[in-house]
Amino acid sequence: MIQRRLGKIFDPTDHVLPNACVEFAQSPQALEFPEFSRVYFATRSVDPGGKTFRSHIAFADMAKDFSTVLRVASKPVLPLGDLGSFDEHGIFPINVIRNKGQVWGYTCGWNRRASVSVDTAVGLVVSDDDGETFRRLGPGPILGPSLHEPFLVGDAFVLKTADLFHMWYMFGQRWVREHADAVPDRVYKIGHATSRDGIAWVKEDGVQILPDRIGPDECQALPSVLHYRGRFHMVFCYRDVHGFRSEPGKGYRIGYAHSADLRTWTRDDAALDLQGGAGDWDSDMQCYPHLTLSDGVPYLLYNGNSFGRHGFGAVIPDLA
Amino acid sequence: MQTDAGQVPFVWEKLGKVFDPKAASNRPWLKEFAQAPASLVLDDVVRIYFSCRPPADAAGQYVSRSAYVDLDRRDLTRIVAVAEQPILTLGELGTFDEFGTYPVSVIPHDGKLRAYYAGWTRCVSVPFNTAIGCAESTDGGKSFIRLGPGPVIPYSIDEPFVMSGPKIRRFNGVYHLFYIAGTKWKLVEGRAEPVYRIRMATSTDGVNWAKHGHNLIETVVEADEAQASPDVFFADGRYHMMFCYRYSEDFRNHARGYRIGYAHSPDLTHWTRDDRVAGITVSAEGWDSEMLSYPHVFAVDGQVYMAYLGNGVGREGFGLARLVSPMSWGS
Repeated sequence: MIQRRLGKIFDPTDHVLPNACVEFAQSPQALEFPEFSRVYFATRSVDPGGKTFRSHIAFADMAKDFSTVLRVASKPVLPLGDLGSFDEHGIFPINVIRNKGQVWGYTCGWNRRASVSVDTAVGLVVSDDDGETFRRLGPGPILGPSLHEPFLVGDAFVLKTADLFHMWYMFGQRWVREHADAVPDRVYKIGHATSRDGIAWVKEDGVQILPDRIGPDECQALPSVLHYRGRFHMVFCYRDVHGFRSEPGKGYRIGYAHSADLRTWTRDDAALDLQGGAGDWDSDMQCYPHLTLSDGVPYLLYNGNSFGRHGFGAVIPDLA
Repeated sequence: MQTDAGQVPFVWEKLGKVFDPKAASNRPWLKEFAQAPASLVLDDVVRIYFSCRPPADAAGQYVSRSAYVDLDRRDLTRIVAVAEQPILTLGELGTFDEFGTYPVSVIPHDGKLRAYYAGWTRCVSVPFNTAIGCAESTDGGKSFIRLGPGPVIPYSIDEPFVMSGPKIRRFNGVYHLFYIAGTKWKLVEGRAEPVYRIRMATSTDGVNWAKHGHNLIETVVEADEAQASPDVFFADGRYHMMFCYRYSEDFRNHARGYRIGYAHSPDLTHWTRDDRVAGITVSAEGWDSEMLSYPHVFAVDGQVYMAYLGNGVGREGFGLARLVSPMSWGS
């Protein structure tokens, strides 16, 4: 259940963004500071010619109740990858954690393909200045395709527990066409990996951890996990494989699952029941959710219509 | 037999070109190229796997397929049979091996055969990317089924792209995969050219691999020297590697194209490069007068042979050379 709707809390067109980015503030993900909450998001530059975009990471420092924007990143946070690299054509999203006195970022790097539009992989970047800027640990990904996860590995969310790092992430299963002349659409699910150091990961490799709600071609993305009041809560977004850009009933919605042990999850979307407001900024679509605690209060940040072209908003969920 | 650190150069007798893809008929997928020869010794024949191409498509783009030719074990210059079909299908839409399976290296495993191969996908900013997959055969190596739709050696943090040229070996009960990993793409007159170096991974089951994480072979001709086809064997009490190397720019010619290099190692991780030991270079004229590449050394019936490519990196086929200097293979 939703306790309180905060509405849209950040509009990218109200601010000057690095890399000449104008629209889009996608996949908000928070890092708590004593005096504010830093919300990273992916914004977009337009390529010469105006037909293609590249996603870049930026951030906004917000009041701890997410009511006001205090400051927006004024310089690039993380450059895109070199020619031919997995993150050459965009980074979207980034998930940040504190580790070893640094801020570590798990990125989703995008590279364009010929027969399908894109492939992705997970990169690792590190900040020595409290998350103002990041540098790569290497030019390649830390988590990419494997025998049973052939492509589209991305959307990593990392949770550090006492003895282990856990990662939930997206992996691609197949590309399918709605009809013979259609461009291919992708099917992806949420998987799980673990690590001792946050760098070298062991995947379950091809194991889908959440059941499908709308059939085998359901697309599941952007998991986010929060430990709160004795159990683990996961939010994610899911949609139909075709028609998701234009038909509201087929677009992204936000799902929910809970777990006691981080191994088995019970999906229960109705327990969260996040609905878009009629005629509101999130009326047609809700996507890219992120659970975060700020001064001990759980917030759910997310994007609304048009995949976050016009910004992101928040609710306070009632996590039982 | 060597007792000091050096190695006496090998002496090879060239046997000439053995297989020309243009000689094959009724195989539309086999029109040009017979690249990256790799052997499997069978009872009556030596099967040489290679990679080939059907004609380019309307946009001038090729796919690579892999197949084999069986050579008479008593006379390796005599062709007994050519594969009726490629040994492996291309990958599904969007997979790493959708546009090619090349090269391939085969080894017996658990009563079956396993093939390690580089899969090719097409990109936008650079022409391609490759990763290494694995497939199995239960019909003696005529056809292979992939273990899964994804690669077993993917891109990783310090091997960012172009994982290719796998050669599978088993030493001391452990699988060793020698391969190349890209280090950078160089823009040369508007064309993206990859630079790659030789790497290694080890595995006990052939599926889960630990990457060694270091370049095995130093560069000689320039810092961006590209190295390929790392072919490792054990003889005379040490490990030997034949490979090929070239300049990173303007390399499609005699002066800067591929040559065959050599290195030796006591332990598979520390290698001493000494190209003069390779003992083979371009001919004054003929099919291998411009360049030499993709060496593969194998032993059969007391003789040691090297299969290799000549001009145009195998466009016109592969040839053989026979070792005439003494070697104690496998011991």
